[in-house]
Amino acid sequence: MRLAPHIVLIGVAFLACGCKVGTPSALERRVVIATKHHITVGNRSEKNPLPFTSENLAAGKEAFGHYCIACHGLDGQNTGVPFADRMSPPLPSLASAEVQDYTDGQLKWVIDNGISPSGMPASKGTLSDEEIWSIVHFIRHLPPAGSVGEPEMYSH
Amino acid sequence: MKFKFLAPMLIVPVLAAIFFGSQLSKAQSAPHRIEIVAKRFDFTPGDITLKKGEPVVIALTSKDVDHGVKFKELNLVVKAKKGETSEVAYTPTQTGTFVGQCSVFCGSGHGSMKMTLHVTE
Repeated sequence: MRLAPHIVLIGVAFLACGCKVGTPSALERRVVIATKHHITVGNRSEKNPLPFTSENLAAGKEAFGHYCIACHGLDGQNTGVPFADRMSPPLPSLASAEVQDYTDGQLKWVIDNGISPSGMPASKGTLSDEEIWSIVHFIRHLPPAGSVGEPEMYSH
Repeated sequence: MKFKFLAPMLIVPVLAAIFFGSQLSKAQSAPHRIEIVAKRFDFTPGDITLKKGEPVVIALTSKDVDHGVKFKELNLVVKAKKGETSEVAYTPTQTGTFVGQCSVFCGSGHGSMKMTLHVTE
């Protein structure tokens, strides 16, 4: 059985559009955010076992600085990250309601498991549980946007 | 005359006792050295046992990149730069089993780079 050429063309055009990065519509964003917050991202009730102390906050900042700054910037708000708004979906600022509305347990879940479809990788095993919980503290207490410069890798 | 003959016989054993005694006490007091080798993404040995109250020197050697080992409950951290050895003197004060975690980010398996320390009576 042969496929009609116009069906092949439509299929190719669909695949090409499907691969291209674009800005999601407002409706699409709202649906995806609601789905993540209420359905797909688990661990809602788990509490952060690390007490909030200056030591744990500093540990979170350090762990974040080793691993997360390439995408989220030193401030967690994408400062200096050249591709932050060129991804689909765009990288959210970690200070935004979209992120801050997650519970601590959900933030841990997102760092452990990543988010698909997005560029957020699963980091369980790459970071220890303690480091991830300390990063959750850092995310809750981010420095002001732009106050700590930009990742060195983007300034050379 | 008699004293002249006896004196060396007394002095030599006394000096020998002092010399060998000091060597023996040095050997007894020198802390045991625990050597740990770190490389992505494990520690060798992965399991060590110490005795409570017995001082040791923990020597961590890093074979590839910077590593560290941190036993949070014991407030014990040793860090070693790439290709170097660092030493920390430590005397365990509590018994139990403690998990040490690599304390210097070293790559994709960093979070699961662990070792175990047992402290017995």
